[in-house]
Amino acid sequence: MRALLAFLAALVLAAPAAFAAEVASTRILAAAAEPQNWLTYGGNYTSQRYSGLSQITPANVKSLKSQWVLQDNVIGVWQSNPLVVDGVMYVTQRPNDVVALDAKTGKVFWVYHYTPSPDAKVCCGSNNRGVAILGNTLYMGTLDAHLVALNASTGQLLWNTKVADEKLAYSITMAPLVVKDKVVIGVGGGEFGIRGFISAYDAKTGAEAWKFYTIPGPGEAGNESWRGTDWEHGGGSAWVTGSYDPSLNLVYWGIGNPGPDWNPAQRPGDNLYSDSVIALDADSGKLKWHYQFTPNDGYDYDSVQVPVLADIAWKGRPTKVMMWANRNGNFYMLDRATGKFLLGAPFVKVNWMSGFDANGRPIQTPQPLGQPTYPGNQGGTNWFPPAFNPKTGLFYFSAWENYASIYKREAATYEPGKTFAGAFPSVLVPAPGAAVPGIGRSSLINTWTSETGSGATIAMDPQTGKRVWTFPQFDVTEAGLLTTASGLVFTGGREGYVYALDAKTGKELWKTHLGGQINMAPITYAIDGRQYVSVIAGRTLVTFALGN
Amino acid sequence: MLCGAFAALAALAGRATAQVDDHQYTSTDIQAGFRIYAAQCQLCHGANGDQVAGVNLSRQKFKRAVSDDDIKATVTKGVQSAGMPSFQFQPAQLSAIVSFIRSGFDQSGTPFKLGDAASGKRVFEGKGGCTACHRPVGEGPLNAPSLAAVGLSRQPVEIQRYIVEPSKAMLPINRPATIVLKDGRTLKGRRLNEDTFTVQLRDEAQRLHSVAKADIKSYALGKTSNMPSYAGKLSETELADLTAYLVSLKGS
Repeated sequence: MRALLAFLAALVLAAPAAFAAEVASTRILAAAAEPQNWLTYGGNYTSQRYSGLSQITPANVKSLKSQWVLQDNVIGVWQSNPLVVDGVMYVTQRPNDVVALDAKTGKVFWVYHYTPSPDAKVCCGSNNRGVAILGNTLYMGTLDAHLVALNASTGQLLWNTKVADEKLAYSITMAPLVVKDKVVIGVGGGEFGIRGFISAYDAKTGAEAWKFYTIPGPGEAGNESWRGTDWEHGGGSAWVTGSYDPSLNLVYWGIGNPGPDWNPAQRPGDNLYSDSVIALDADSGKLKWHYQFTPNDGYDYDSVQVPVLADIAWKGRPTKVMMWANRNGNFYMLDRATGKFLLGAPFVKVNWMSGFDANGRPIQTPQPLGQPTYPGNQGGTNWFPPAFNPKTGLFYFSAWENYASIYKREAATYEPGKTFAGAFPSVLVPAPGAAVPGIGRSSLINTWTSETGSGATIAMDPQTGKRVWTFPQFDVTEAGLLTTASGLVFTGGREGYVYALDAKTGKELWKTHLGGQINMAPITYAIDGRQYVSVIAGRTLVTFALGN
Repeated sequence: MLCGAFAALAALAGRATAQVDDHQYTSTDIQAGFRIYAAQCQLCHGANGDQVAGVNLSRQKFKRAVSDDDIKATVTKGVQSAGMPSFQFQPAQLSAIVSFIRSGFDQSGTPFKLGDAASGKRVFEGKGGCTACHRPVGEGPLNAPSLAAVGLSRQPVEIQRYIVEPSKAMLPINRPATIVLKDGRTLKGRRLNEDTFTVQLRDEAQRLHSVAKADIKSYALGKTSNMPSYAGKLSETELADLTAYLVSLKGS
């Protein structure tokens, strides 16, 4: 009996600790101090995707071995960014499933299914980029523009708030951002004539706390950049997670294209705040400043990138900056307290503009009809997350090189819920009928070759706007970046290779081939003193750690 | 409507290969069809019409439709189970859409004429001398591809272009590759696939190779097709007939 009791006692002691997550907002503010967890989309509120973990180093990264794999049953590109909280991973699967699994072994605890309305409309895939967490509650945006809150232990639905009307083609694909006691979300649908907005909801009840329209209406600042009623279907979607500066109490968000995408003459004016970064007061949602990357955009240059925040010495003075590699082919440095333009420089071939004026406004040089515009429609880079490493001082991002589109101009007529975009551009191809990269890779064979665009991982010196190194890839890449304190950069691409590169030099230190496209940056976390790197390739989430 | 969300169901459905109705498709119709496609269809069906599983519009692979009228009916009714909405188009617009699809998505709207396939077969086997390289099955000398299903894989206008301007029409993936390896061997053949670290090709003896770029000393992709040009060698009728014959080759 005593032996049995001792045995049972030992079992209880050996059992894993209760995993009810308790992620107070103060923990997310200090997320950099717990690099063993990944508490929010960008790692922490700066969205640097810089991990303090250094067990995996340039010297030992070659001995990374696969530890466990999670397979996804759903056909389609898997763009989810997992969170890891105290040993539990939360990842979404298309279209709106949430999976909670043991981050050490990959064993699944529970799966929550949400079935979006059949009326839901998306332009570019039934994507979901992840959940947010606060306390013991997970938050997910859905394809039919709802925001749901789930108990993180049980996966049970706590509340469900309708954010927008899916019949008008509003959707949500981004991971929400938790700020203090609110959940902030943005809407997609820029190809369907929506009027975009960012809104915040009470994290406990789901009640709307504030709403900021990215397309200003009459009486709102910026409405004068639209003619007449063009603003009513002005687009201005937000489909990637923003960043937060607690010292300034500002949330920053990248805004998408104006509507209709490809007919700028139909909406004369700058079309604020499309293709802008906006800084909103986190408590009230009021606009503090904006900077517009592409006024009166005719190229679909959604500025839906993750704002990367850093405190660096700019021209010798400590400055709160924002770093941005934009879809329009330029790299920017902005002062994130004021929105002041500090630097702008092309990182790929750019011919839609010739330079910047003294205020950082682009001098546009539209190409003659039938001639190629660089970069093409999918941009020099896009929504996938960049990274910044404070030790190397370098900014890393995935780019498309040598890629151009030929734009056509056709009037578009608005009909509720229908495409409101104009004439689709074509990709510049070396021979008529040649295949093009498209959105997401759907073929085992690369018939478009590098002649229609090739991929590159770029390390940029933010002080100069010049490349420090380039890691070229044959096919284009939408992998995004992760960087670590030990001097590593992790990335991938559409071909299915995962790479560890030297953060200083770009030298390839390790690669493995997972055979499926990588469409979200890897994350890293640790459990019981062991560091893991997880990456999603194709329909598998693979987790690596140093081999035994 | 969720593009791709019902892809799993769609992939299970049967697939019909289309017959080309004996029509002339005009430049106006093809170009008008392209504009409609770009504005209303491309978001779900993709630039090449192949983004919905089981359907390849530019290669005229449909799930149920066979005739031009079938295509029009599908567009008008939609496909509820697959998430395709119904569209209310005028008859002229429906004809335009069909023309664009039948042209194989030829954005230039080049009008094409299909002659008599039986006469075209005689050109293929006789005056054209095509059988010297193009075998009925499998690749022939100099990597001449099998044409057994060329009517499924190339637009009619592309087929015409290949006959008169083979080098200009050659798609990048088909460029002849000459690879000299560090171990001294030379591989000559057609590139099949490539990524950052490897290239796959089929050599002139029909053997498959996957080569690591780290093992390559020199790698050249030619811009000249092995196929001779027939510009000026065939009459207009012979060209139209030959094109009709090749378009009719849809495999088994």
